[in-house]
Amino acid sequence: MAGRARLPSVGDMIDVHELTKRYGAKSAVDGLSFTVRPGRVTGFLGPNGAGKSTTMRLILGLDAPTSGSALVGGRAYAELAAPLRTVGSLLDAKGVHGGRSAYAHLAGMAAGSGIPRRRVDEVLREVGLDPATARRRTKGFSLGMGQRLGIAAALLGDPAVLILDEPVNGLDTEGIRWIRELMKSLAAEGRTVFLSSHLMSELELTADHLVVIGRGRLLADAPMREFIESHSGGQTLVRSPEAERLRELLRAAGGRVSLDARGGWLVDGLATAAIGELARHHGVALHELTPRLSSLEEVYTAMAGATGEYRTEAAR
Amino acid sequence: MTRRFRQALAFEWVKFRSVRSTVWTTAVMAALPAPGAAFVAATGSLQPDDTVLGGSLTLSVPALMLAAVVGALTVCGEYGSGTVRTTFAVVPRRGTVLAAKAVLVAGLLYALALPATAGAYLVGDALLDDGYAQGEPLPALFGVAAAFSVAGLLGLAAGTLIRHAAGTVTAVIAALLLPSMIGPLFGGAERWVAGSSPTAALEKLMQTSDASTDAVGSLGAWPSLLLVTGYTALALLAAAALLRRRDV
Repeated sequence: MAGRARLPSVGDMIDVHELTKRYGAKSAVDGLSFTVRPGRVTGFLGPNGAGKSTTMRLILGLDAPTSGSALVGGRAYAELAAPLRTVGSLLDAKGVHGGRSAYAHLAGMAAGSGIPRRRVDEVLREVGLDPATARRRTKGFSLGMGQRLGIAAALLGDPAVLILDEPVNGLDTEGIRWIRELMKSLAAEGRTVFLSSHLMSELELTADHLVVIGRGRLLADAPMREFIESHSGGQTLVRSPEAERLRELLRAAGGRVSLDARGGWLVDGLATAAIGELARHHGVALHELTPRLSSLEEVYTAMAGATGEYRTEAAR
Repeated sequence: MTRRFRQALAFEWVKFRSVRSTVWTTAVMAALPAPGAAFVAATGSLQPDDTVLGGSLTLSVPALMLAAVVGALTVCGEYGSGTVRTTFAVVPRRGTVLAAKAVLVAGLLYALALPATAGAYLVGDALLDDGYAQGEPLPALFGVAAAFSVAGLLGLAAGTLIRHAAGTVTAVIAALLLPSMIGPLFGGAERWVAGSSPTAALEKLMQTSDASTDAVGSLGAWPSLLLVTGYTALALLAAAALLRRRDV
């Protein structure tokens, strides 16, 4: 991967517009619109069954939309001049024949897209599958090895756009860290990285931007930090050596004050800046003044609860 | 051939030879006819009115079924394993994928069936008694090899339509065997029912005594092959139309 540098370009965007996919009476994807831009990792978040995999299959042209469009670089996937060189994908079901070796799987894909054979060895090395393992039939592969093969297949065409469905599934901690660093470095090279997960904690560490869906509908499309801030409870953690006096002042100013488990006051109903100014005005020294951000997990749980859906998911 | 098509064909070839099921089925198909000729000669089981060509190719009928299975496996294996998604991600034009599979299956089966059946004839010719009519091996053997290609394509079309390996194999074996089995039930229409199957076309080309006018009709060997090729082409077109529309 070294030495490859890309400039973000409009051609590398994923553009989903009013996308709808119905199976009989049930909508798997329902009027979904969002854009995935290059140069950052975009997380695709939603509980199982929210329509993430369906959306990805629609982008890859594997399923046909009922209405709307999903374009990569302004074109439908089937219209791309060199699909594998433009879009690398890893789907939830890996799409590997158990009786075929990892090497033959990649060699076939390379042959089918005019990619030189040496690229197979390069991606195998890149994902850490040694040559002996790669020559074995994939039937005996562990979940983690299968996932590495899937990533190798996605990287084969050195694509500008990566679409990965649950890439950390089945990986151990070391593997998860590897994927996380890989995704970030691919995005840093200017590529468009779109990865789905139902693990909110995972996306929180990897993604710069979030597209959140539930029941096939868009719930949010925002930068990670903005998403968490706007959905956090607006609480502030404040600590002072004059704890009791500060509490009186905060209450008098209209704040709701509670004791934080780690010491200090948790303040609701007052902006962080207002608390700082209040303390300065009354000459109270502050040792800490921190806006408390909810974790993505808490935010999603709150959102899911608010829309009255996925209570069992939210309860996890 | 366009670059896209050449790449799709190369892709199919790598997939074909990197899985045991397709390789072994094809190998057994190609190996079957010659020992069959030797077996018939050794047991002396040939009917007096049969030909050397027909007797030598006795086992080309089961070999023809294996050819159909080979065609079915090239597509059912993809659906069974989910590889079909990878394939369509690499070659999104599904008509191109099916065309590449068809060219591979038809070309490979022809290239293997021709020497396999010609070899069987030479074995039978050397071992069988002189009492039998010879039959005319040329140009019939080219037609026999073509029948293998057509059977493979029928398997490919059925596999694309049905997707499941077991169901597809059952269907193509039925298409090859049933007409001659249930033909007699149709009385006077027997020769129309039994005569329309790929097996009947093969038997006519083989000039075996089984291919009597009563059993498989008076339609000649080459017109029979043409008929089978015609409906196989229609089945492939139907498969292509469905493949384009269907979600995977």
